[in-house]
Amino acid sequence: MLEVLRIARERGLEADLFVQKVWSKHIEYEAGVLKGYTAEELVGCGLRVIRPDKRLGFYAFTPPFVPHEVVEKALEVSTFGNTVEFSLPSYPSATEWKDFVDSRLESITIQEMVELGAYIVEHVKATHPDVLVNISITAGKEERALYNHHEEEIGFQRTFFRVFAEAVRVQDDDILTVYAERSWGNRDIDLEDLLKEIQLKLDLSARVVSVPSGQYPVLFTPQGCMVFLYPLLYGLNGRNVIFGKSPLRDRFGRVIFSSLFSLLEVPREPWALGSCPFDDEGILTPGERVLVEKGKVEDGFWDLWSASKARRKTTASGFRRSPLDLPEPSFSVLKVSSGLRDRETLVEEIEEGLVVDSLLGLGQSNVASGVFSCGVQLGFYVKGGEIQGRVKNVMISGNAYDVLKNIKEVSRDSQWVQGSMLIPYTLVEPIQVNATK
Amino acid sequence: MREILRKLTQKPKNGEYLEIRLERIVTTHIRIHNGLVERARITEDQGGSIRILHPKTSWWFLSFQGWDGLEEKVELGLRSAALLPKSMIGIVRGGAFEDEIIFRPSEDFREKLFGEKIQLLLEYARIVQEASPYIVSAAVEYRDEWRSVYFANSEGAVLFWEKPDISLSFTATARSGDTIEVYRDGVAGRAGFELVRHRESLAYRVGKQAEALLWARSFPGGVYDVVLDPVLAGVFIHEAFGHLSEADFSSRNERLRKIMVLGKSIASPVLSVFDDGTLEGLRGSSLYDDEGVRTQRTYLIKEGYLSGRLHSRETAFLFGELPTGNARTISYRFPPLVRMTNTGIEEGKVSPEELFADIEQGLYAVEYVGGNTALELFTFSPAYGYIIEHGKIGEMVKDIVLSGNLFQTLGKIDAVANDFRWTEVGWCGKGVQAGLPTPTGSPHVRLREVLVGGQGYA
Repeated sequence: MLEVLRIARERGLEADLFVQKVWSKHIEYEAGVLKGYTAEELVGCGLRVIRPDKRLGFYAFTPPFVPHEVVEKALEVSTFGNTVEFSLPSYPSATEWKDFVDSRLESITIQEMVELGAYIVEHVKATHPDVLVNISITAGKEERALYNHHEEEIGFQRTFFRVFAEAVRVQDDDILTVYAERSWGNRDIDLEDLLKEIQLKLDLSARVVSVPSGQYPVLFTPQGCMVFLYPLLYGLNGRNVIFGKSPLRDRFGRVIFSSLFSLLEVPREPWALGSCPFDDEGILTPGERVLVEKGKVEDGFWDLWSASKARRKTTASGFRRSPLDLPEPSFSVLKVSSGLRDRETLVEEIEEGLVVDSLLGLGQSNVASGVFSCGVQLGFYVKGGEIQGRVKNVMISGNAYDVLKNIKEVSRDSQWVQGSMLIPYTLVEPIQVNATK
Repeated sequence: MREILRKLTQKPKNGEYLEIRLERIVTTHIRIHNGLVERARITEDQGGSIRILHPKTSWWFLSFQGWDGLEEKVELGLRSAALLPKSMIGIVRGGAFEDEIIFRPSEDFREKLFGEKIQLLLEYARIVQEASPYIVSAAVEYRDEWRSVYFANSEGAVLFWEKPDISLSFTATARSGDTIEVYRDGVAGRAGFELVRHRESLAYRVGKQAEALLWARSFPGGVYDVVLDPVLAGVFIHEAFGHLSEADFSSRNERLRKIMVLGKSIASPVLSVFDDGTLEGLRGSSLYDDEGVRTQRTYLIKEGYLSGRLHSRETAFLFGELPTGNARTISYRFPPLVRMTNTGIEEGKVSPEELFADIEQGLYAVEYVGGNTALELFTFSPAYGYIIEHGKIGEMVKDIVLSGNLFQTLGKIDAVANDFRWTEVGWCGKGVQAGLPTPTGSPHVRLREVLVGGQGYA
């Protein structure tokens, strides 16, 4: 790898090379039947070069490769590349972080994963014999390394573990699907907690009830909160701010949301997925960073490119979707501040409304302006403080930025979503609900 | 390479099914944003996968980078598959095809200079930008991909195919105060560079449409009669019914199998739906699927009756039916799943104008943003729409998502027009495998009483 950088340096280029190695093991159950085992061993490399005239080039590849050829390819691209206003930085010293590697995941056996899957299937079936259970369990390890033309090298490693369980129940012309997932950097995923969630959702779904169209308070589960968090994350993205595509462009430093809403980035959160000592451009991450403080928008996500355009510092937010992609502003680990009372109490206080857990069509709404309109995939009707049953053929709509203004309460209990976002249950009023008669 | 693969696939001695896939993917990706080359990227990805089904256990799958050490990997796989816990997996076997499918585009994009591609895209970007003074962001995205695949399996298939894919898309973001609207359109195909030439009028239209959306009003939610244009109708049938036809959703679900029993009346008699992987030149087509099975035309619904489903070797075995050539993967990194190829609604007899005639108050839903399904419930979104009043197309409206229910919505299609056309830009995600080209085709279609989630309530 260092040979590539040496050649780039000799050609008078600034350069960085991002290398990601991943291995993973995966098992799957389909309708309670062990379907099979999948293993993956992948390496991907992305070479970014900046010429003396500041033109940017990028070439990505998988091994095997010839060092001088990959530099030539990146140079060819740079002939037409964008002129950039930043330089590739020196890397932080390697003594300031530790890897998050769980040896129990490194040595996990197929047998162990198969048994975990069987355990979940068996326990869901024990309380709900009429459902079919699909399971997917993944364990693996990822190594990220960066090399630059200063002949510096940094890297870190982390393990990951994901458990996804889905229960499907078909009754006449009703197909119910409920699911739960847990993702974490070590083996300590609480399977009992996951089972409880699946069983509770199945119990609450037993009865289908109707809801008249109208405006209601809605309690979003942590997963349901993505309907307003996705547009917010789009708005906080430095690139979108620079291009005028973010409604937050001229609202930094102002209170525009409910004072109950605070959002932090915690890049060093132990064992959370996404936690990292430095971003994919080699910038050291802070321990904690405020994005929204009591409704006031404080900061967004800035990578080297967008930060240079805005004439400000990066926020260590340059992440790559894959080693074959260039860095873009994104987040590591997020925490939405929680409240004082637990979710059961919040439900008890709803006179008439909905609990919304998962939605269909999140990506089809206008993520830029925040306008959304989604089918409720799993949601419940609440009357007199009690969940009456599951709703079907119902849509909710609104604007994410209004939703953030109209937060009435957040719960004390939070849950990790995709292992990288810690989110409480969030009560919003009002939300437009449309239903078939 | 073919000889090596032929030898390796004959290694199983205990009745295992074995397949080997070697793939090389070279892509160029260029993104022009507000007149600058924002992203310029070439990638070369070379890897492979081995998949084994042991007759007494289950699937074993390994994906890897590079093409080295194949023999050791096959041996490791055969040993490991035998050690997997016992399970109940079977497949339909057979199909000893040997073939070589070479693609010769009229303008091979691999021979084009990077600079030539960039020049053309910069010109398009200028047209999008200058189409309206309200454009704050004009993006042109270009991607070409040349995929070469070696495939061999223990049934005696030894195949080599080339699959080029090229796409060009324009995205305009228009802004007026806090109103931000995004409009996107493009072209895609199994073609050479000729596909992306002469697209000036499309670029201009994208800029104009983004501006038009600023002035369109929001559509109030409620229940309406809706006419879908051919683009959205294609997305609709993909979400509403196509996915449920993928037999892996029902193969191990006895109750769902009863619901999906062939010959059952499931839709109104005007509706016939097919999937066809053999159609020449479409992005979803291929002579063989990713298990080495010949593709075919499969009727999913014929005149309202359930008439077929899509299979891999495994689901065909579970149903006691024949594979349909619908096992597809997005790359060597993943095992194939049951997927659609090119899916469409067959054209009817009436003219599109007749669909509007008796709608008092309704919606004409046009083009698409996307779609999503949870089997019974699904949503699909037009890019924009028009109010229909007293049988006439009226004002432009936006922010619309339509939702449906498998058991109700298909029966509400009461008219299918005679203006069928394909839309090639569609792609589909299933599980972790996103970005599979799945063209859809349809004429204009009318649906009664659809739940529309707009802003507010009528």
